[in-house]
Amino acid sequence: MTNRFLCAVIASILAGMILSTTAAPLAAQAPPPPKAPPPPNWIDPRNPPKADPNWSPARTPDGQPNIEGQWGQASDIITYSIEDPELERAEHTAISGQRPMVGRPIIDPPDGKIPYQPWAMKFAAFLHEQHRKPSKPEYLDPVSRGFQEGLPRINYQGAFQVQQFPGTVVITYDYHHTYRVIPLDGRPHPGADVKLWMGDSRGHWEGKTLVVDVANNNGQTWFAIVGSFHSDALHLVERWTATAPDHIVYIVTIEDPKVYTRPWKLRVDFRRQKAEEQWENAVWEGNMLGGLSQEFWGAAKK
Amino acid sequence: MGLRSIGSMSMIVGAVVSLVLIRAAAQVPASPRATDVPRTQDGKPDLTGIWQVMNSAAWDIQDHQARKGVPAGMGVVEGNEIPYQPAALAKKRENFQNRETADPEAKCYLPGVPRLMYMPFPFQIFQTPTKLTMLFEYVHATRFIHTNGTPHPPGHIDWWMGDSRGRWEGDTLVVDVVDFNDQTWFDRAGNFHSDQLHLVERYTLTDPDHITYDVTVEDPQVFTRPWRMSMILYRHKEKNVQILEYECYAFDNEFHAPVPN
Repeated sequence: MTNRFLCAVIASILAGMILSTTAAPLAAQAPPPPKAPPPPNWIDPRNPPKADPNWSPARTPDGQPNIEGQWGQASDIITYSIEDPELERAEHTAISGQRPMVGRPIIDPPDGKIPYQPWAMKFAAFLHEQHRKPSKPEYLDPVSRGFQEGLPRINYQGAFQVQQFPGTVVITYDYHHTYRVIPLDGRPHPGADVKLWMGDSRGHWEGKTLVVDVANNNGQTWFAIVGSFHSDALHLVERWTATAPDHIVYIVTIEDPKVYTRPWKLRVDFRRQKAEEQWENAVWEGNMLGGLSQEFWGAAKK
Repeated sequence: MGLRSIGSMSMIVGAVVSLVLIRAAAQVPASPRATDVPRTQDGKPDLTGIWQVMNSAAWDIQDHQARKGVPAGMGVVEGNEIPYQPAALAKKRENFQNRETADPEAKCYLPGVPRLMYMPFPFQIFQTPTKLTMLFEYVHATRFIHTNGTPHPPGHIDWWMGDSRGRWEGDTLVVDVVDFNDQTWFDRAGNFHSDQLHLVERYTLTDPDHITYDVTVEDPQVFTRPWRMSMILYRHKEKNVQILEYECYAFDNEFHAPVPN
């Protein structure tokens, strides 16, 4: 539904332009009563509003806190860079013409940077340097090559639907028909040799928080286009907290002793969206991203 | 069926086959009400679970002997006959000759319906009153069968997996599927269709662990008449069973990387 989303964004931008041009003459005739400025349409992960601690969600028939429905990130994050909002803003506007993004999802460490080990810092810088003109296919963003996003990236890639069944939470993402089946029965992860693009998820509820342990990740996914990376030792603990009827706070603790000096945390706020049918989002087949890759390759050959 | 049988005989054959088909349809029992199957809260048979076929239709939906790397198998096509139009039969044979490269599966594309239902990978069904969610291990494909009474969207829409709208006829889930592209095949033997493909699938839970899966295939651009496939979906009962990943296009990155020639 990316196209529909884009159309909605364009429509709302156009509507905003029309409103702002018509509002001026009206204002000249009769000054409107002073109004509080509208709240920002996004939630700053590093300065979020306080949630009502006494609110608790309805329950599903089997007693889970009910977070069913369609959700999308409200933190203004685009996956160009999760560390550098200025770069993100400039690049994304240049490439897509979409409005600038300002979200900075890394809440710990406080500087908003991934705590790479020294060697990894160098490699991340190399990938960053390569990302516009990669010298090898593997230096190009894996999502741009049509591979699965992996976690946590898919959670800030686009909208998704949550369905809850006895003993299982199912998440189906709009982008690339990606899905997760999260058992809640405490079963162990598969053997450590099993490496998966989307990892292996095991969940349980702590109050109104769904805690998901994600292991068995492969080392081939990135956090963003510019090459922020991890190894196959990646281990995630996701905390999905229902804080209001239409709001989920998602905080993921990311650890990878091969690559980082310490665990770090990323926050994304999800808002409830109008439920829509999830229509086919073929990625590999359409190869639209392949076209983008070819531009990169054309640039690389020059 | 050879080429000679089609041609001057086609009208007679068509008429006879139509009669047979009508008779066959009349003999299908009208969805007997199974009493010992799991049911959802709204009383429908509950198809929730992990399922997989136990046949070799992925290689060839018709009766076939073994080839290297291909298990022999009795087919899933009723009567073992696929009623191709003459030009389409020639195309099918050409597809078979070129199958190693021409098969869309070789490009790791979404295999379409019904092919994905009988590939040698498990899939998981989650059922609600308004929607069935099917999650496939093969290329993490998904399929949503809407059972909320909504019609197909306006269109023709070119989708790999089509648009699925289901309704319950007694204890049988009947799914109408249209909006296909012309890129997918039925099997590795080159059986194919056009974008006019129209399927009617029938899912009947005959006991807690078996679904009878029947599908009527209609495509006026390729076939002379509708034809049917029938097979069994078996429930996975292993304690530790779960859907894993088969990311076909990711296995050979260099080959599959979208690098210009």
